[in-house]
Amino acid sequence: MDSNIILGCENLTKRFESTLALHKVTAGVRKGEILGLVGENGAGKSTLVKVLAGELRPDSGSIVFRGKTVRWESSNEALREGIGMVHQRPLLVPEMTGLQNLFLGKEYARRGLLDEVAATEASRRLIEKYPMYPDMDLTKTPKEMSAGEKEILAILRVLSYDPEVLILDEPTASLPRQETATLIEMIKKLNVERGVSIIFISHKLEEAFGLCDRIMVLRNGKYVGDLMREEFKRERVIRLMIEEDISLFYPPKTEEVGPVTLEVTNLRAPGVNNVSLEAHAGEIVGMYGLIGAGMSEVLESVFGLNRITGGSIKLKGEELCLPSVSVMKRKKVYLIPSDRHQLSLFRNFNVMENMTIAHLASLLPETIIDSAKEHKLATNQANKMTVKCSSVSQAISELSGGNQQKLVVARWLMEDVDILMVDDPTVGIDIGAKRDIYLLLRELTRMGKTVILISSEISEILGMSDRIYCMKHGRITGVLTGDQMTQENVLRHIL
Amino acid sequence: MSVATRISAKSRSWFVDFVKDKELFVASILMIFVFSIAGTRFFTLDNIANILRSVSIGGILTLGLSFVMITGDFDLSFGSATGLLVVIEMIMLDQGVNMWLVFLVMIVLGLVWQFINAMLVVKVRMPAFIATIATWNMARGLIFWITKGKTFYGDYPDAFAFVGRENILVFLPTCAIIFAVLAFFAYMLGNHTKFGRHLYAVGGNPEAARYAGIDSDTVRILAFLMSGLAIGVSAIILGSELCCAPAGAGDAFQMQGIAAAYLGATVFKPGSVNIGGSILGSLLLVVIENGLVMMNVPFYYKYLIQGLIIVGAVSFITIKKRNSSIAIQSKI
Repeated sequence: MDSNIILGCENLTKRFESTLALHKVTAGVRKGEILGLVGENGAGKSTLVKVLAGELRPDSGSIVFRGKTVRWESSNEALREGIGMVHQRPLLVPEMTGLQNLFLGKEYARRGLLDEVAATEASRRLIEKYPMYPDMDLTKTPKEMSAGEKEILAILRVLSYDPEVLILDEPTASLPRQETATLIEMIKKLNVERGVSIIFISHKLEEAFGLCDRIMVLRNGKYVGDLMREEFKRERVIRLMIEEDISLFYPPKTEEVGPVTLEVTNLRAPGVNNVSLEAHAGEIVGMYGLIGAGMSEVLESVFGLNRITGGSIKLKGEELCLPSVSVMKRKKVYLIPSDRHQLSLFRNFNVMENMTIAHLASLLPETIIDSAKEHKLATNQANKMTVKCSSVSQAISELSGGNQQKLVVARWLMEDVDILMVDDPTVGIDIGAKRDIYLLLRELTRMGKTVILISSEISEILGMSDRIYCMKHGRITGVLTGDQMTQENVLRHIL
Repeated sequence: MSVATRISAKSRSWFVDFVKDKELFVASILMIFVFSIAGTRFFTLDNIANILRSVSIGGILTLGLSFVMITGDFDLSFGSATGLLVVIEMIMLDQGVNMWLVFLVMIVLGLVWQFINAMLVVKVRMPAFIATIATWNMARGLIFWITKGKTFYGDYPDAFAFVGRENILVFLPTCAIIFAVLAFFAYMLGNHTKFGRHLYAVGGNPEAARYAGIDSDTVRILAFLMSGLAIGVSAIILGSELCCAPAGAGDAFQMQGIAAAYLGATVFKPGSVNIGGSILGSLLLVVIENGLVMMNVPFYYKYLIQGLIIVGAVSFITIKKRNSSIAIQSKI
């Protein structure tokens, strides 16, 4: 390994259940360097820095710090040794003042009583030492601070430990342009004046180009290359971020689409800004953007889960006044939400109960649920959808991730569907289950159904969609069809 | 969709499910065994009737509490609410109001009481613990205000005692039959109807329930109303059993109900409160209490044991849940 490397790793592998988040990654930040870490959603950037900062333990491979192999027992140990990490969303206590947040966990006290004077003095010294926003008002609480001030406060808190390496996980993600510029300036000064080595994660390439000495690209948990300052070119980085082999893995696309089934016009809702889109029968409509760009929010609003503040939704030409989940279910419009553990599965229910829960009134209308009938319905559906379980009475915790996901899909396909909205259906599932879900979605369009698909994987969106809506900050930034559907085009619209 | 493992259409027999999480059964059988050896009067017809009589009020209230707890809420007020209703019941009877009308009023007041709790918890979104601690104290306050802290004695029709004090058959107490009927209905409602399924869904994963199109607010309010019904019925029986209204009436059932529900949460659907478990838990608790009385153990040990049972059962559930929990997926 490069002897200049202050913090690095060798052959680092980390697995979450069936997902390989990091696969034999060897990387590192050199002394005094600003290293940019870029890659798609789910490329493993956050996982990598969390392992480096002791928040996650690697499955295999080693971490090297100051030339020695280390094993962090906790993130606190890493922090004490000189590795400071600021999370994507700053972890601050909203009700406490900036000063209290700054020294949270190591408060200044005298004879058991908190010493505000000493803390203020210490904060002054800290701000003097590190060129960070000298006129920051620490009497304000995070609630009263701007996004940028909160970010700086979080960085200052880490700096109070005098780290040698500072890790910043998307510090500019939620900042307006002006504050971003200020923050970038400060990070640069921190590096030049205090010699702090920095790992900087960002989705905004221009920002990384302006700040970093070197950029490293991760893709699907693997290291794919790094570029020095003189090699910084948008096209080059994007090409590295992209998967080369969009294999023949995806089923063939639709040749002819039917009439419009869903028409959304100027939709406004929490996280959704004037979104208009339409979907046709027999078509898979893809939606793609960075995490938090508003794709899920669009589908949730259409499904009646979020309150709509403006715009209209038409189903087969008929306008809906107030969409609600029960109305949508009656109209045969279903949403399969993204996080199956949080939003779909009932751990206290077995496979059968998890399957029938959304259709009790229509499929099992008897006052006393006909358990033989329920059992038969669920068993048939499990077989049809190849949900592998010993019996439908099995606990869902005993199912693999892929089978759990198939179960969720099976739940919504127990009854006839017209429009199926699917939010990132293949996260953390094995390749076989992925393939099954792809075939199933295609099968639906062949039967003249409409599918709207959100995915965090760009290759999946490209491989599955007949048309792609690109999103950024709650808005649609582009619609791509046919030959326009390339990774370069998509990334251009969402970044 | 090529290779599919076919699932046999035969469901797992109830016996397998029954024996799978059998800790509570082992405990009950052991307990009864100990008592029958230690106290010679344990297995007499009189004593069994006694046990059945003592289980009824607490058991009915536990059923009500179970509905509330299944949806993930909690209620600390039902004991004193029952006491308050008993006071109102005895005063109305003393005033010569028709007995059946009084019974109807009890049911209505029970429903109103839990409707208030439901509004605070479900609509205002107060934490159930705080909301029902407050209403619990309000009930206590009302009782003392009405009775001035003294036991209220009044006139009542002779037929009144039938509910709480007499037997319907030779040795079967009327109240035990009421409990049995309600337990049956609660069990069917909880485990074999859409409403029951929705209760468990809301309690198991409220977000997923919302995404599945279940109106969880309505489900939670209805669960509170079930408990309101239980409070009404219990007040009728308790008034009839006491034939007076002590200022502390109903209080003892609060802890008993919580202990029984948690004890029941260790069986059938381990880790979550369930109707079947609550029925069994109520019975077991009364058996323990009765056994101790038979062995001449002082009554105040009852509180110690209830506390121990809550600690034991909840630790058991927590540990079991922790061990079986799958690793939380972190965002990559």
